[in-house]
Amino acid sequence: MNLTHFWILIASLFLGQLLLLLVLAWRKQQSNKREAAIDRQYHLLTDSFSSYTMDPSDERFIEELTASPYHLVVLERLLNHYVSVTKAGADSPAVSRLSEEFLSKRYMKLLKRGNWAMRMNTLYFIEDFRMESLVPQLKEKLAKSSRLDQETQQLIRTLASLNETVAIDALAKYPDAPARLYIDVFKRLDELTKLDELDAALKDENTNQTLKHSAISYIGMAGMTLFLPRVEAELQHPEMEMRIQALKAILHLQYMNSPSALAPFFQSTAWPERMFAAQIAGKLQLSRYKETLGELLGDPVWWVRYSSAEALTQFSEGDIVLTHLAENHSDRYARDMANQWKTSLLGSEQ
Amino acid sequence: MQETALILSYIVIAYMLFSSLSYLGLFALAYGKVKKENKLDKRESTEDFLRNQSTYPVSILVPAYNEEVGVVSTVRSLLALEYPEKEIIVIDDGSKDSTSLRMIEEFKMKEIPFAVRTHIETAEIEAIYQSSIFPYIRLIKKANGGKADALNAGVNLSSFPYFCAIDGDSILENDGLLKCMKPIIESDGQIIVTGGSVRIANGSTISRSKVELVGLPKSPIVLMQIVEYFRAFLIGRLALSHLNILLIVSGAFGVFNKERVIQAGGYNKNTVGEDMELVVRLHRLLREEKSKQRIEYIPDPVCWTEAPESLEVLRSQRIRWQRGLFETLWTHRKMMLNPKYGSIGLFSMPYFLFVELLGAVFEFIGYFIIFGGFFFSLVDPQVAGVMFLVTVFYGSLISALAVLLEELTLHKYPKVSHLMRLYFWALTEAFWYRPLMVLWRVKGIFATFQKKAHWGDMKRKGIST
Repeated sequence: MNLTHFWILIASLFLGQLLLLLVLAWRKQQSNKREAAIDRQYHLLTDSFSSYTMDPSDERFIEELTASPYHLVVLERLLNHYVSVTKAGADSPAVSRLSEEFLSKRYMKLLKRGNWAMRMNTLYFIEDFRMESLVPQLKEKLAKSSRLDQETQQLIRTLASLNETVAIDALAKYPDAPARLYIDVFKRLDELTKLDELDAALKDENTNQTLKHSAISYIGMAGMTLFLPRVEAELQHPEMEMRIQALKAILHLQYMNSPSALAPFFQSTAWPERMFAAQIAGKLQLSRYKETLGELLGDPVWWVRYSSAEALTQFSEGDIVLTHLAENHSDRYARDMANQWKTSLLGSEQ
Repeated sequence: MQETALILSYIVIAYMLFSSLSYLGLFALAYGKVKKENKLDKRESTEDFLRNQSTYPVSILVPAYNEEVGVVSTVRSLLALEYPEKEIIVIDDGSKDSTSLRMIEEFKMKEIPFAVRTHIETAEIEAIYQSSIFPYIRLIKKANGGKADALNAGVNLSSFPYFCAIDGDSILENDGLLKCMKPIIESDGQIIVTGGSVRIANGSTISRSKVELVGLPKSPIVLMQIVEYFRAFLIGRLALSHLNILLIVSGAFGVFNKERVIQAGGYNKNTVGEDMELVVRLHRLLREEKSKQRIEYIPDPVCWTEAPESLEVLRSQRIRWQRGLFETLWTHRKMMLNPKYGSIGLFSMPYFLFVELLGAVFEFIGYFIIFGGFFFSLVDPQVAGVMFLVTVFYGSLISALAVLLEELTLHKYPKVSHLMRLYFWALTEAFWYRPLMVLWRVKGIFATFQKKAHWGDMKRKGIST
């Protein structure tokens, strides 16, 4: 290759880039114009949309919406904003009617043919707008999926938000399904279905350990004291992970029927069990364990020392106990920890 | 002499063509991922994590040295972050200005005794303060030990399993932390580090510590740095991350699994490129353990930072970066071309050595030959002409392409005029900006043998308007 060849190569690359630049500039201009028009119409329709959500017989919004060339995008944005700022937005009859009437056909097409991002967005919106008419399509899609990728995960969440228990059955097909996904499903089911599913998950014959861990974890997070006796029973479980989940749930529930069941955990060889036991003793203000907490302040594991000191601050005379331990505990690290928490108590009083 | 110059010319031309093609190959690899996620509704895809109790809490570490101008606005932007549970730890590494005082006054901080776990040895901790308005803001005042030492002190004090390191002059997008934690949560801990895409804030409108309107600065030096960031982030890091061989997570913003960092020994105090060195060490740890854990990069811009506007500061920054790169490659030379370290040893390390580090040397020789060929008959003017064209291709056209690729995928600059300005400035790169960079990068290689690690001497103006 000589200089001329290089000139031709560089010139053609430059011209190719110039062409691409012009195309991109034109595309940007068009998309800016379109975005500005959508924005304008969005703001124009906001008032009539608000009236419609309060009184669905007010047809002014429907008339204005159908006259808009970008009515589907504008409606999607209006509904999305509405459900994200109002508590009952997702269950509003106006949202349901509008989304089913205008968006269901579009979403049906997108679920089948859209690119990955568009399909994901569609699944998010179906969940947000609670579009029940699309359940058969979603189930069909779920039956066809063979990998628990991001799209299948969202599909399962969306079905759960429509109160479809097939979501849990689908997860059970994947042995590696993470606990967070089961929890996402429990969170989305309606109250009655949720109780049934949690009950089934806690039964002894359930062999899906991840499902059981998730159920216990969710019970704690949601504060469902109804299940407290069943959670407490899991403290005797031979598997450590199950016991830890039960301890965590009790910590969240902030109640125990038999606080004596906690005693063995202070001597556990597993530090997370000692840590959670200390945290529970503090949160539930179980005075009988105050002395044990003082001993755990000298535990070899920092987290246990930290949790024990924090637990002591929960008692009414916690500052006196910590001051005493800060001066007299035989362990140097225990004294440091007591000192730190003692000061935090002083700070909170000011 | 002429024969040697001619051979050198052919080597440099071949090198530049090879490097240019490798850039294009890397982009082709990354294009699919960026394009795939481009239309994803980011708000919808992260809002669930905002209310989710299983979203891991994060400690945000802000190392600061003489950052009195920017530190408060940085912390304010962190307060506005949408994230369920976080703590903010500012580490004043023996500043000579009023960095600590500004923090203490602004957030009504009080000194507290704190039982710090010394996972990693650091310079002496002088005091720890806690805000009485926001108890989850803490300040560590310590003796000067460098940025790596400051970060290690932050790691020691942090209470959460993940930490995010952010520069004192950076502003995070409101959902930046959620975006970076999303892959970690979704992978159930299989991703141990995420690096976010960093953008230059100069020229954008920032109010109340938030980027309100994206814009371009007037200064050509800053404009060229924006183009450079496109080139580095879009062409390089995305593809390397896709192959799990990314060696750099920007010091301006990254999220790390604390346990893994402690296992690796924390940040290295003996290098100026502590961010890259840590990532390489983590890769090394993962490969030696045969672990499947990953390090990932997020194309979406999550963090805005102030770029140097003066040549003097830019020079010092680039010398420091190049030196950091050299030190890291030297420290981990055992991994170079070593099959035990898989694609990191066989591809990534040689890529960083030949393209990122020695590229400056090849380009320097190239400019020398062009000059010598045209004015002193060092080589045949035909060869000098080819060299000139290849240099324009490597320096300008690839950068201009990076601008077009940004527009094709992320298009974060809103106006057509932004695109035009960036494109035409990118075309000028080979004629003024790149020779400067080449010169400083070569100096950076020599600087490795000279000084000990220190903080950069960036003159902050503050980016809030």
